[in-house]
Amino acid sequence: MRCEDIKKNFPDYLVKDLDQSSSDDIQSHIADCASCRQELEDMSAVWTKLGVLPEEHPSNGLRERFYGMLEEYKTEVNRERPLHHLKQFFSSLFYRSRSGRPAFQIAFGFIPLLVGLSLGYILFSGSQSAELRREVQDMRQMLAVSLLDQRSTTERLRGVNLSYGLENPDSRTIEALLDTLNNDPNINVRLAAVDAMYLFYDSPSVREGIIQSLSQQESPFLQAALVDLLVSVRERQALESFKKLIAANELDPKVRQKLEQGIKELSY
Amino acid sequence: MSTINEGSNDVNLYTDNRLMEEVKDGKVEKMAVLFEKHHVSLFNFFMRLTGNSSISEDLVQEVFMRMLKYRATYQGRSKFTLWMYQIARNAHIDFLRKKKDALPLDEQWSEPITSEASPAEKLEGGEEVKLLRQALAQLPLKKREVLILSRYQNLKYKEIAELMDCHIGTVKAHVHRAIKELGKIYFELQGGTVS
Repeated sequence: MRCEDIKKNFPDYLVKDLDQSSSDDIQSHIADCASCRQELEDMSAVWTKLGVLPEEHPSNGLRERFYGMLEEYKTEVNRERPLHHLKQFFSSLFYRSRSGRPAFQIAFGFIPLLVGLSLGYILFSGSQSAELRREVQDMRQMLAVSLLDQRSTTERLRGVNLSYGLENPDSRTIEALLDTLNNDPNINVRLAAVDAMYLFYDSPSVREGIIQSLSQQESPFLQAALVDLLVSVRERQALESFKKLIAANELDPKVRQKLEQGIKELSY
Repeated sequence: MSTINEGSNDVNLYTDNRLMEEVKDGKVEKMAVLFEKHHVSLFNFFMRLTGNSSISEDLVQEVFMRMLKYRATYQGRSKFTLWMYQIARNAHIDFLRKKKDALPLDEQWSEPITSEASPAEKLEGGEEVKLLRQALAQLPLKKREVLILSRYQNLKYKEIAELMDCHIGTVKAHVHRAIKELGKIYFELQGGTVS
């Protein structure tokens, strides 16, 4: 093969994304061609050297700014929602009132009152006190825990979704979420619980619970989601569990790939 | 909401795409999960592009803000991370454009990268790390981007091609040239001595 054709595959060689025959072509070519051998060695050296750049970590300020921005955005969306529904309601009312039916004409007369009520709602929601906010959080927490215990899948999923909005969930909520992650009969509910764990990872019981859960899960979807989570949060304590799982005979090939990549990333 | 059913067999397909679909459907609080999953790697992408932590944090914030703003345009056909990096690249380009407009004319085309030592770099204290960052900063933007995306962000060449709207062969050629050029710059910065 010509040098030019061989060199085209060098970038794939670096990321180890070559089939056996192309890899063999490179090996047999560089055995005879000193110039290509040198070039590949130099490129591999630079590629390896790039690995010395350490991973950087942003300041805590970034997380604070993000959550501040998300809160603002949520408030904006929630403000728009009642206005949007109100607008739809009024336009349909206006349209119908033109038909001359008295019931609609009476309803149309209530418009100023409804506008006043909705404005009151908007102003009130914009100035929630810290006390009220805490109470809402507590209620939300209680509701989430009780929903997680329901028979209906939809309700349990609602329970997990509700937990996303919690600022500091107590140990009972964390326990309920971990229990859902390990024992819920529905895979979508269990996956939603994994998502929630990203938000509460600061808690040591969550960290321990997640690592433990990985060894219990049999679904490749759950295994993959938990590996993703542990790699994302750079949980080095999980390395042992990764190695144990990889040694298991029956493992989805994509999960195995994820585990191998995860071990590489966490060891680096 | 998209859900897993018994027939699904790809463990990689559901997570991020499913979350973003939910954000699109109005569950905007799910963006917090995507933030927790991706903000560190996104921050590192910008750190390696700009070399400045405060600019990188601003850009990460900007990316998440844009993802919320344009959530309705998200189409789950390709990987979520590709969409995210598309937005990240645009945010970076807009940042460079703004910076260029703010500069006097004679400085407009100078290299935007700063040489601030990062906390990790200070901690490592390695001359090698410092030289490597300097060498990376001297690479032209496109080559630097391709190299960062493939070496650090773990994107496949095919995905980078999709992201940059070009042929996969072009991406590989960029990587090839970028590595050779980087090696040459690094060697020169070392004072021409082989380590």
